[in-house]
Amino acid sequence: MKIKKLTVTIAALALALAGCAGNDDPLGNQSAAPPTQADQEAIVVGSANFTESQVLGELYAQALQAKGLNVSTKPNIGSREVYLKALQEGTVSIVPEYTGNLLLNYDKDATAKTAEEVETALPEALPSGLQILKPSPAADQDVYVVTKQFADQNGVASLADLKKVSADSILGGPSELASRAYGPEGLEKIYGAKFKEFKPYDSPAVKSRDLNDGKIQVATFFTTESAIIDNGYVQLADPEAMILPQNVVPLVTDAVAGNADAKAAIEAVQAALTTEDLTALNKRVDSDHDDPGQVAGDWLKEKGLA
Amino acid sequence: MNLLQYLTDPANWPGDGRILDLLAEHLGYTAAAVLIAALIAVPIGVLIGHTGRGSFVVIGSSNAARAIPTLGLLVLVVVLLGTGTEKIVPVLALLALPAILTATAAGIGGADRDAVHAARAIGMTESQIVFRVEWPLALPLVISGLRSATLQVVATATVAAFAAGGGLGQLLISGQRNNDYPQMFAGAVLIAGLAIVLDVLLGAVGWLTGRTTRARRAADQAVRDKEAASQRSEALT
Repeated sequence: MKIKKLTVTIAALALALAGCAGNDDPLGNQSAAPPTQADQEAIVVGSANFTESQVLGELYAQALQAKGLNVSTKPNIGSREVYLKALQEGTVSIVPEYTGNLLLNYDKDATAKTAEEVETALPEALPSGLQILKPSPAADQDVYVVTKQFADQNGVASLADLKKVSADSILGGPSELASRAYGPEGLEKIYGAKFKEFKPYDSPAVKSRDLNDGKIQVATFFTTESAIIDNGYVQLADPEAMILPQNVVPLVTDAVAGNADAKAAIEAVQAALTTEDLTALNKRVDSDHDDPGQVAGDWLKEKGLA
Repeated sequence: MNLLQYLTDPANWPGDGRILDLLAEHLGYTAAAVLIAALIAVPIGVLIGHTGRGSFVVIGSSNAARAIPTLGLLVLVVVLLGTGTEKIVPVLALLALPAILTATAAGIGGADRDAVHAARAIGMTESQIVFRVEWPLALPLVISGLRSATLQVVATATVAAFAAGGGLGQLLISGQRNNDYPQMFAGAVLIAGLAIVLDVLLGAVGWLTGRTTRARRAADQAVRDKEAASQRSEALT
C-alpha cells in the first residue's frame, strides 16, 4: 500500500516538474506559433500580451474585414521581441505599436523628442521589409498628474510649475520610473523640480488611493488609464517634450503597406481613434470583462467604419 | 549574469529605499505584527487552556484565519482605507494569531495535571496556579508558537511592498519591473536569510526555557529517587 502511494506521489511530482521544464523562459512569455502554410493572401493581425494591444488588433482586423479583405488574427503573441520577430519572419503582417518605444527599440540613441520628430525618424530606423502607417492622435504614454484640488491650490498645470511645490512633495509611480530618463532625474534636470521623495507603487489602485489621500502629491499614470478620468486628475503639460510620445501606430509588412484597400481601412481607424476612446475601450475589457472583439466591433460601428 | 552583483555592491546598502532601510522596515513590520498578535492571543490562549472551555473557538477561528489570503486582504484594506503602517501591521498580525493562540492554549491545557492538582491542594489561588505552575510549564510551547508565527510573518511581510509599505518585498517588485534579476535575487536571499536567522534565534530561546523546565524535572526526579531509596532502606531496617 505504502509503496503504491509513494509511486503515485513520485509520478505526480515528475509530471509537475515536466510541466515546469516545458517552458524555457522563466517569465513565461508565450512564444510565437511556428509558421504555418496559411493562405498567402491573408493579412494576419497580431497583438501583444496586454489588453490595449488586443483591442487595437481587433480594431484593425475588423476594419479590414469590413473592406472584404481576407483576415486572420493572432492575438496575445507576447512581448515586443517576440512579435517583432514574427513580423520579420512574415508569420504576422500587422501589429499595433507605439511610436516612441518602437523608435527606441531600433535606435537606442534616437534624439527625436516631439511627436513629429519621432514620426519622421521612425521610417529610417525600421529594418527593411517593415513600415509604419500614419500614427493616430491616440497615445498611451506616461503622464504626470495631480489632483484637481492640488492643481487649483498651487497653480500647477505643467511640469514647469512643479519646481514651486516639489521640495515638500512626494512623487509616486511604478518602481521602474526611478531609473527612467523621464523619471525623478529628468524632472530635476529639465524642469528643476527635485522631489522630497520618490515612492514606488506596484498597484495603480493603491497609488490612486494615496494621491487622493494626499500621501503623495504627484503621480504618473498612463494616458489610457481610466483612473485619470474617474478621479478627475489634472494631467500636467510637458512643454519641454521630456516624455517621449507614444502614439498608436500600425507596424506592417511591405505587402500590407502596398495594399491600397488595407492601408485605407487601417488609416481610417487611426484617424478616428482618440486617447479617450482607447481609455473607454480598455475599461470595457478590463473592468466590465467584455470581449475585445465585441468592444472593437461596437466602436467601429459607432464610427461607421464597419 | 552575476546574480550576486546587487547584493555585493556596497552602494545598494545604505540610503532611502535601499537594503538596510528595507530590512529595517521588514523587521519592524514583523516585530510589531507578532507583538500585537501575542498581546491578543496569549491571554485568550491562557484563559481557554486553563478553563478548558471554548477550545472549539480556538480550532475554528485558527482554521478560518489560516485560510485568509493575506495579499488580497491587504490590498483590499489599503484600497478601502488608505495606506500606512497602521493598516499593514494588523493584517500581518491576523496571520500570526492562530499559531500563537493554539500553541498557548495547548501548552496551558496540557500542563502536568498532577502539578496543577498539587498546587490546588496546597491552597494556591487560580491565578497563582496559572502564573506559577501552568505558565512555566507551557512556556516552551508558547515560544514555539511565537517561532512559527514569526516565520510566517517574516515571509509574508513581503506583501507590504504591494501596499506601498516598503520592506524587502520591494526588491522583488522593483527587480521584476526593471528586469533586474540580481535585485530580485537579493530580495529573495535576504528574506530567506532573515527567516532562517530569526528561526534559529527563537529556537535558541525556546531551548533555553525548555532547559530550565528540564533541569527542574531532573531535580524533582532526583529528589523522588532519593526519597524512594530512603523509604526502601527504612523498610529494610
